[in-house]
Amino acid sequence: MNGTKTVRLPRDTTRQAESLVIGRASRMTHRITGIAIVLFVLVHLVAQSVLHVPAFSAWKTRATWLPTLVSQNWIHAVLLFAIVFHTLYGLKLILSDLGWTFDYRRSFLLIVGISILFGIRELARYAGI
Amino acid sequence: MNNAEIITVDLRRFDPSSGEAPYYQRFEIPAQPNMRVLDVIRAIYETKCADLSFQYACRIGRCGTCSVKVNGVPVLACQERAKPRMRIEPLSPFPVVRDLVIDRGEVESRYVDLNLVPARGSPRGEDIERITPVAAEQICNLDRCISCMICVSACPAVEERAFDGPAFMLKLRQLSLHPANGQDRVEQAMEGGLMECFGCDACTQLCPTDLSPAQAIRELRRVKVFGGSQ
Repeated sequence: MNGTKTVRLPRDTTRQAESLVIGRASRMTHRITGIAIVLFVLVHLVAQSVLHVPAFSAWKTRATWLPTLVSQNWIHAVLLFAIVFHTLYGLKLILSDLGWTFDYRRSFLLIVGISILFGIRELARYAGI
Repeated sequence: MNNAEIITVDLRRFDPSSGEAPYYQRFEIPAQPNMRVLDVIRAIYETKCADLSFQYACRIGRCGTCSVKVNGVPVLACQERAKPRMRIEPLSPFPVVRDLVIDRGEVESRYVDLNLVPARGSPRGEDIERITPVAAEQICNLDRCISCMICVSACPAVEERAFDGPAFMLKLRQLSLHPANGQDRVEQAMEGGLMECFGCDACTQLCPTDLSPAQAIRELRRVKVFGGSQ
């Protein structure tokens, strides 16, 4: 050991207002994806009830919006993005509380990237690719 | 930015004695090289609006006095580079005295309430409390905080929940590391809403002294949940 120590230079804090505040973006995305998941579950509940529960079968004629909604494949891609993002970001928060250290920017971009890949894969699956 | 450019600023004005609601006043200032937001505000004061109220002191990012919000982001006016279009507002969620001047009385009284000195639980005995080099480095590192309140302004949990703010949690963490500290800083942090933090790291991103209040909060939380020494 030669006794030298690597010093990290202070980061540039002169352009704070120009950059995206990652914390705001990640928090809002986590909330929106959570809401999206809940909404999906509610719609899924209604759709399955209409299809399989005899008591709700009369709704088949009234719920004309349901087949249109269910046939939109992009909704499933959005749902998958939402589930993957919400899960991974939630895990990141739990692990951070348990002692792991994450760079907030890299972890957010990585989680968004993985979630987008899952969404694209879902779109590709419906496209037959 | 070259000399031919104009900086357009929408500056929030508020005079409580006038009885009027806050409003935005537009100013246009010729741009200078390397201009900072504080330079723009001073140019407005000196050439356009002599009754503008604003705060600054050191001008070198060491005192934390000049904190404002630029385009919705809390920053140090003396450090932040001027942009061609800016919306400048006083730092939220603090009470506004006038224009860009905020009342820091509540901040100061909160710091006083926390009793941020290494308070022993009992009178000092014969043995002095030794500080290891590692602890000393950690304590001195956290002492870089300039109490600018940018982290508190940026914190979503401060807006939505009963949370004092990252700045206070950071100071409590600093004191918890001190070997002569006899007060239960974790319980003080709990009273200040330690568990309300979202873990979003907005405070870490915007801290002008490159500290991580979010990390200090996580460390205090771990002590609270899993026990162990402070």
